[in-house]
Amino acid sequence: MDPLTRPRPILIRLAIALLGPLLLALLFLACGREENAARPEAPAPPPAPVAEAPAPPAPPKAEPASAETRATYQWYCAQCHGVKGKGNGINAKWLTVPPRDHTKAEYLETRTDQQLFDAIQQGGLAVGRAPCMPRWGDTLDEKTIHALVRYIRELCECEAI
Amino acid sequence: MKRLGFYLLAVGWLVCQPAASFALPLEGMGCEACHRLSAEAPPGERKAPDLYYAGDKLRKEWLVQFLQRPVVLRKAGFFTAPGFLAGEPDARPHPVLSEEDAKKAADDLAALKLPGLPTGLVDEEPLSKVGRVKAKILFERDYSCIACHEGINLAGQARGGVSGPSLAGAGNRLKGDWIVHWLKTPEKFIDKSRMPVYRLDEETLAQLTRYILSLKKEPDEWTR
Repeated sequence: MDPLTRPRPILIRLAIALLGPLLLALLFLACGREENAARPEAPAPPPAPVAEAPAPPAPPKAEPASAETRATYQWYCAQCHGVKGKGNGINAKWLTVPPRDHTKAEYLETRTDQQLFDAIQQGGLAVGRAPCMPRWGDTLDEKTIHALVRYIRELCECEAI
Repeated sequence: MKRLGFYLLAVGWLVCQPAASFALPLEGMGCEACHRLSAEAPPGERKAPDLYYAGDKLRKEWLVQFLQRPVVLRKAGFFTAPGFLAGEPDARPHPVLSEEDAKKAADDLAALKLPGLPTGLVDEEPLSKVGRVKAKILFERDYSCIACHEGINLAGQARGGVSGPSLAGAGNRLKGDWIVHWLKTPEKFIDKSRMPVYRLDEETLAQLTRYILSLKKEPDEWTR
């Protein structure tokens, strides 16, 4: 009997029948992995452009202090704070606590506009500062005091942090 | 000819008479060169304190002494002066008067009063020790007067700001009623000063007034 035509033993035929598809399946799966492994990682797609919120409009630049506000500062404040707001008015050297230098941003940017307003309106003592600063609330109206606060911001070239 | 000579002599005598002999109060003394003697005088002429209410404000005895030995009450000068804020006071000294002229001028000044200002508003009894301490706190701390006016410190020295007149001798200089009027209604005396306006209750007003009256340091020039 030709060995090629001779029937295979039953065990071999069974093994081929069971393992053949299994091996094929393994080979297929393995390639797939290899294919995946070999594939260079695709560059991450560029992040979808975030729809940028429209930039907030720049705060309107404060109007420079009016001549009236400057005159008010010169009339009342300059006695202690100085003609240019440097804290060197004619009373300065006689005061226990030197008047605030309105050109120094380091301190003034730590104060809110409301705190500056209160200091002018109610005096230094009312806001926990030096009692040498009198209260001007019975002398100047609120509009004038707000204008002085803006002028102080102009002198210090600073805003509250 | 003799008659003409007589007339010339008479006219010459009249011309040579001091103007004050015929004058209105203070006229001819030159006060009006710096002080306003009338509320109607233009504010631009105010180079020194207004005197048209001097009789309400100033004590006559002080005036007599001041006019003979003037002292500087406003170390930074008068608040309308061009050099005021620059710390460059007008250095011209106040004219010195003879005792006779000083007494005459003080009499004239004492007669200058605003009509209808009430008097008798202040209890001028000295404050008690405790009252004085409380009032000192009002003066130096609560109402910041010391920032612009000299007061008297615990060592008896004049100390404080200089943009307002010194108050170290205010008790010798000012009348109590005037202090009340000034603190209560400054607009009666001036259109616009550099001093804050305070709405004081009656008790605070009285305490501050009595404290200011207690400040009686004589100028060094007067005690030498």
